[in-house]
Amino acid sequence: MGGDALAGSLTVTVRGANGKPVSDAVVTVHPGGQPSRGPIKFPWPYRVQQQNIQFSPFVLIVPAGAEVAFPNLDKVRHHVYSFSPGNKFELKLYGREENRIVKLPTAGAAAIGCNIHDQMVGFIKVVDTAYAAKSDASGVATIADAPSGPVVVRVWHPYLRGPKNEKVLPVTSLGGGATREAVTIELRAPAAHH
Amino acid sequence: MFNRLQTKLTVLYAGLFALALSLVAVTVYLAIAGNAQQTVRKELAVSGTVFDRVWALRTQRLRDGADLLSRDFGFRSAVATRDAPTVESAITNLRQRLGLDLAFTVGVEGDVIGLDPALLDLDKLWAALDAEDGAQGVFVIDNAPYQIISAPIMAPTLNGWIVFAAKLDDREMQALEGLSAIDLDAQVFDQRNGQWITTDTSFDPERIGAYVDQALQARTHEPELLKAGRADNLVLVKPLKSLSQDGAAALVLRYPMAKAMAPYRPLFAAVILAGLLGAALVVVASWALSRGLARPIAALDAAARRLQRGEDVRVEVQTHDEIGRLASSFNLMAAEIRDREAKMIHQTLHDAETGLPNRRALEREISARLAGAAEGEQVIISAVGLDRFPFMRGAIGYTLATQLIADLGERITAISPGLLVGRLTTSTLCVVSNLTDLAALLPLIDRSVQDLERPIRVGGERVDIHLTHGLAATTAGALDAPRLIEQALIALDQGRAANRKVMLFDPVAYGDPASNLSLMSEMLDAVTTGALFLNHQPKLDLRTGQITGVEALVRWKHPTRGLMRPDLFVGMAEETGHIRALTDYVLTQAIADQKILRAAGHDVLMSVNISGRLIDDADFADRAIEQVTREGARLCFEITETAVIGNPEVALAVLERFAAAGIPVSIDDYGSGLSSLAYLKQIRADELKIDKAFVMSLEAGGKDALLVKSTIDLAHSLGMKVTAEGVETREALAALQLMGCDLAQGYHIAKPMGLSQLTEFLGDWSIDLPGETETAALRQA
Repeated sequence: MGGDALAGSLTVTVRGANGKPVSDAVVTVHPGGQPSRGPIKFPWPYRVQQQNIQFSPFVLIVPAGAEVAFPNLDKVRHHVYSFSPGNKFELKLYGREENRIVKLPTAGAAAIGCNIHDQMVGFIKVVDTAYAAKSDASGVATIADAPSGPVVVRVWHPYLRGPKNEKVLPVTSLGGGATREAVTIELRAPAAHH
Repeated sequence: MFNRLQTKLTVLYAGLFALALSLVAVTVYLAIAGNAQQTVRKELAVSGTVFDRVWALRTQRLRDGADLLSRDFGFRSAVATRDAPTVESAITNLRQRLGLDLAFTVGVEGDVIGLDPALLDLDKLWAALDAEDGAQGVFVIDNAPYQIISAPIMAPTLNGWIVFAAKLDDREMQALEGLSAIDLDAQVFDQRNGQWITTDTSFDPERIGAYVDQALQARTHEPELLKAGRADNLVLVKPLKSLSQDGAAALVLRYPMAKAMAPYRPLFAAVILAGLLGAALVVVASWALSRGLARPIAALDAAARRLQRGEDVRVEVQTHDEIGRLASSFNLMAAEIRDREAKMIHQTLHDAETGLPNRRALEREISARLAGAAEGEQVIISAVGLDRFPFMRGAIGYTLATQLIADLGERITAISPGLLVGRLTTSTLCVVSNLTDLAALLPLIDRSVQDLERPIRVGGERVDIHLTHGLAATTAGALDAPRLIEQALIALDQGRAANRKVMLFDPVAYGDPASNLSLMSEMLDAVTTGALFLNHQPKLDLRTGQITGVEALVRWKHPTRGLMRPDLFVGMAEETGHIRALTDYVLTQAIADQKILRAAGHDVLMSVNISGRLIDDADFADRAIEQVTREGARLCFEITETAVIGNPEVALAVLERFAAAGIPVSIDDYGSGLSSLAYLKQIRADELKIDKAFVMSLEAGGKDALLVKSTIDLAHSLGMKVTAEGVETREALAALQLMGCDLAQGYHIAKPMGLSQLTEFLGDWSIDLPGETETAALRQA
């Protein structure tokens, strides 16, 4: 990972207004508030598979310009789409195959759905920073090599009540070593079909 | 208030019927009204349920449309990509297809496509849409309530909402009203700024608005009777969901009771008409009935009045009911009253014993004749008295004596038919003559006297009768009937006194009895005025020739009638009870006069007449004795022998008391009355005065002389002195002297005289008593 020599880890615990841990929240760190320069590569596969009439994972973090694969593991056909600005695409009815690939060029959140199965909703968080992590079931998101210095730390969740479903954490700079933050976000109820 | 039975009955019956009818009408009305209300209630409830169903169906239809559109991929794509023209065209397309009033989208960012956002309160709508998935309810757009159905547009996340709106206008309400079996009124009320607003202003929206508020708060699900003004309405409030947080909405179903009652109006009219008709019939019937009832009663009433006036009445009996029986009883009663009245009249006008008309009948007849008498005509009656009737009755018995009177009446009628003959007293009949001229009548009576006195045969025996006729006549206006009868009776007395068969009333002889009572009060006055005074008649002692006593005699010089006869007013005083006052006066005056005489040197015994009426008056005796004793007077009380007869025990005791008090008692007028030797023996008297009737005829010799002589001897032997009264001649004086008489009184010695004259007389007194020669001569004679 290319980055500042002085690096530490940032662990953010995300909780809902009811105090329960919130999973699938995306924490991003923008050093100096700027997008990362150079190519960004995350260690997890850039793919959203359709299995059991669900998108998996529910939330996927990919860098801007990444090519995301949409393998259909179900026996039924799917019609995957996104109307999100900048990342609009449509994969018309296709069957069980693994070679459907969509390039998502624009940083932002792409909400993906299936035109056939309304209950299928997924999100791809397209980021322009190399420092991003998704909270696990216990609401903890860890960025291992977070840069020290002035940063803007944001937390995003598809149902977060707020502009762009984002919230900026109060922390403005990171030192070396491990930094622990906790954030409480207010979630909107998922839409009717979910 | 109602004086007529008929009116009373009619009013009563009609009133009762009207009351009963009113009760029936009210009951019917209440039952029908209750029933109608119940029906309307049910219908309203049913309508409310129908409405719920209709509302749900419509909501579902709209929702289906909204859902359909919201899921359309192209539409979602257009919304998600903010392709407004496409969105709008899609909405318009669906709106037309579904026949919607309004359709639009509201984006999550608050952007509205398909409607001018200025027409609605976007904030409220957004909040409502966001608060609930597929929110639906009433919302105001462009100042009108709409039913709103929304569906979220997921692409795949929430991009906004598709909103369908159906206007809740009058047309919509009419469609709803059409679903109901009854002609109810449906309207939507929605609350804006606390104000209930409706488009239908046909019926008092304010009143209903207030009620809606109340019903919503009370959560009333039943129709309620709402009184607004004069109209009753059954109102059911169905709450509607409002999409506006501070708003509320309701569907109001209303049904006017007047409409519910409308079908029954003909029934009511029929009931009232039948009632009025019935009431009229009852009035007529009860009028007729009560007329039948009241008419005979009125007839009885009138008859009773006529009966009261004394008219002869008979009521026609028409029925056999109580009233008929009453009428019969009335007739019976009237007849009996008539009979009794006739009997009573007969009794009052007839003598019960003889059946002859009585005095009242006679008076009535005389009055009638007087009233009918022409100028100068006389009404003449005769009182026919049966002489010595008490003796006759004693002899032949009461019954036959009465029969005799009756027969005599018949005889008079037989002699001259047409005469009215009645019974005046027990023994007197009265004949009212038909003639009007006394002069013409008298000869007729004279002629018939003989005929009438024929012996009458009663009880098989001939009885001699003697009649006296007392006649009285008057012209109209002079005397009334009772006075005429009175005069006839007086004439009868006068005739008997004069021993005449026929006597016409003699007014001169009768005097004026009416003035007697006033005369008595004048007499009492006379005591004070001096009109009453004493005259004294000297009494000569035949042995000494001295005047040893005087008899005080009361005199009254009446201012207008002159000197009154003593026997007139003394007798009257005895009859009227004034004798006591008169005697008091005489006593007092005699005592006073005696004092004067004593002062003049003349001591004489003064004799005072004491009425027989006072002898048995112990009270009088007390006072007289007290007075005489107190004054030291020397009086002698002269009484008549008959005075003792009435109550001998008391009278004799009183005389004893006089004697005990030293007052001499003299027996006056001895020989004129019923001289009883038995009494003479008992009377404790000092003196006996021989009545002048014997003395005045003394000189004629014969029996009187013998009587006087023997009386003198009798008195002397009983220890009494003897005074002879009425000595008017010297011969009589001499004779008395010869007979041994003690005292003499009479005109020969002196007339009664006043006190001054007496004083003078006593002073001058001297007499040459008849000497031995004269008496001797007499003795020889």
